[in-house]
Amino acid sequence: MDFELTPEEKAFQKEVREFLDEHCTEKVVAETESMLGEGPYSKELIRKMGARNMLAPRWPEEYGGRGMGFMAETIKVHELTYHRGPFPLDGVEIGNTLLMCGTEEQKNKFLPGIARGEIEFALGYTEPNAGSDVASVQLRAVDNGDEFILNGQKIYNTEAHFSEYHWLLTRTDPSAEKKHRGLTMLMVDLKSPGITIRPLVTSAGLRTNEVFYEDVHVPKANMVGEKNGGWAVIMSALYGGMGGGSSGASRFHFETLMKYLLEEKPEIAAENPWIPDAMADIYIKLHLIDVIGLRASAMSDLGLATPYDGPVSHIFGNESRRQFCNVVMQILGPYGQLAEGSKYAPLRGVFLRQYMDSPRWTIVHGSSEIQRLVIATRGLGLPRK
Amino acid sequence: MDVRLSEEQEILRKSARDFLSDKCPRTLVREMEQDEKGYSPQLWKEIADLGWMGLAFPEEYGGGGMSFLDLAILLEEMGRVCFPGPFFSTVILGGLPILDAGSDTQKKKYLPDIISGKAIFTLALTEASGKYDAASVKAKATPDGSNYVINGIKLFVPDGNVADYFLCVARTDDKAKKAEDGITVFIVDAKTSGISTTVLKTIARDKQCEVVFKDVKVPKENILGELNRGWDVIQKTIERAAIAKCCESVGGMQAVLDMTVPYVKERVQFDVPIGVFQAIQHHCVNMLVDVESSRVIAYEAAWKLSNGLPYSREAAMAKAWVSDAYQRVVALGTQSHGGVSIIEDHDMPLYFRRAKAAEIAFGDARSHRKTVARELGFKVA
Repeated sequence: MDFELTPEEKAFQKEVREFLDEHCTEKVVAETESMLGEGPYSKELIRKMGARNMLAPRWPEEYGGRGMGFMAETIKVHELTYHRGPFPLDGVEIGNTLLMCGTEEQKNKFLPGIARGEIEFALGYTEPNAGSDVASVQLRAVDNGDEFILNGQKIYNTEAHFSEYHWLLTRTDPSAEKKHRGLTMLMVDLKSPGITIRPLVTSAGLRTNEVFYEDVHVPKANMVGEKNGGWAVIMSALYGGMGGGSSGASRFHFETLMKYLLEEKPEIAAENPWIPDAMADIYIKLHLIDVIGLRASAMSDLGLATPYDGPVSHIFGNESRRQFCNVVMQILGPYGQLAEGSKYAPLRGVFLRQYMDSPRWTIVHGSSEIQRLVIATRGLGLPRK
Repeated sequence: MDVRLSEEQEILRKSARDFLSDKCPRTLVREMEQDEKGYSPQLWKEIADLGWMGLAFPEEYGGGGMSFLDLAILLEEMGRVCFPGPFFSTVILGGLPILDAGSDTQKKKYLPDIISGKAIFTLALTEASGKYDAASVKAKATPDGSNYVINGIKLFVPDGNVADYFLCVARTDDKAKKAEDGITVFIVDAKTSGISTTVLKTIARDKQCEVVFKDVKVPKENILGELNRGWDVIQKTIERAAIAKCCESVGGMQAVLDMTVPYVKERVQFDVPIGVFQAIQHHCVNMLVDVESSRVIAYEAAWKLSNGLPYSREAAMAKAWVSDAYQRVVALGTQSHGGVSIIEDHDMPLYFRRAKAAEIAFGDARSHRKTVARELGFKVA
């Protein structure tokens, strides 16, 4: 047993940290906190990371990576989110899948650009009638020889308005007996004619999108995996080993709050003896998020990932972070309800924004209920029916 | 024991629900969140004409002669639709304290205008600490001939931007041994020189304000109750407001449950309504447990107050419970709806925001559990 990072991992951590200390500026942070997507400063940062082969450390060097493991990926994610940089970087996530499922042409066409930070991807799974039940997607891709013609709609594709490509799950066989066997994964240039992106806003002010496809032509060369084999592509993406979660931005906010409580407003904790206990509890949970995440990565690197490592990390991380938001709001009392721009708003209302955004965390990228279903069935082997 | 409403109360509830579903649609709620005043003067007049402001006031002032319990039923219906505007402030924070402690002259002067909808009232109590305790009252009122002069900054004053009158709580004797002694409540005309109001930007987009009192002259006859005995009035006002807020919250929680159960019966994923899944069923059940427990504890407190029985402990227990329960219900309602309910245009965010605001108003769960702990015999600071 060994809880230490290797010298290579420590060196990578130091390198990423020092780089972000310098280059993840207030302007980048402002874009992250705006919740409006990757703006120009974020894109510039991503390209700078790309130029240093920092974006996809797991990939082979020939594709712009460093040939490191999932540990390096988790270290990178922690540093990037701690510095409140742009996240998630779905291009890198899709690249991980292409490494496993893509053709040589596709890897050569996309991976270097993704690794350089020049190609960003938007996830294109969800539809109005296909949320947790992603196999129910209806966006139709009709086989037309050397291309597909696409018609349909996606929703909550949050990255679509600032990405170059759409990682699109489509239906190629509407009459498949089992619906998940009629799916095909495509990569679509978002500048293709026929695509309309319409903004949606969450109650926290986060920008997401509806994306409409009307007779959009996509070359077959952009099909990932087999026609009607899209489900296998998703499964490798989800279960092919993964980096675990990290406390990232929550840890930064925790430290900000500690400074506020110890230096700026010591009377708050002095008058409320429950606060030190609550903060200690949160500190323990943030630490757990990190070690659970690193453990998932370490075991993935050893080829020993279990089907439940990712989901455990996911639910523990997001549910603890939500709890942290609730505790912060209670600590701030009536002042916690003041939004940015209001007189008396503490810490620029950043905690209120986090609180407003927090219900989303246990819904997106696999709801808490679905994560538990995966743990129960694939992890514990509990029967489905 | 009988928890049923009387026939009269059922009629009140039904008529209020019908009126509000017609006159207080979501579009109005959202419009008022962005509106400078935060309420519709036309709707205000309509509810005054219906007798809502005057419901729990004696007929001699133009009121309906009904009880606090009847008012609680009305508040629940308002909570159900996120009713915007200064009704709660005017009636609970202004009118009822004047009814409790006002002189005959004061009652004759102010209550008819409250009841007719002519005057909007609110309570200017909390200060920098954000707490609802006597020790936090630092605003000062010093005697000056036939007046008192008030100086201080009040925060989180609900509807301070539209109030015609403030019940301003100030310290008139800072040498008193206990914090509760030496506090006086003044009825202050909002047009008095020296008052400036700033609307704070809050999560619920309700109009909570900073109200600055700078050398504000108030005639001595505007003291509500007795000089230096104002905390007696305020203690009762806060407890009653806490109960009222609980009843309003029960309406909101019920609305969330009422939107979630039909949704999970209709929303199909994996070829079945998601209400088939045990996880979702348990969410709905947990919501129901919170709604029903909140309803009974809130109404028990309201009934006790309404019937002249001791109610302080029940008020604390109710507010402690409901403050957290409302948020749990919204969290589970959101989780059951999934992505659709985190979009701003969905109804759920309206309740999410208001649940947080309701938790904070008149003391959060922890502050009320402290009260209960003291009642249990613990020495609590």
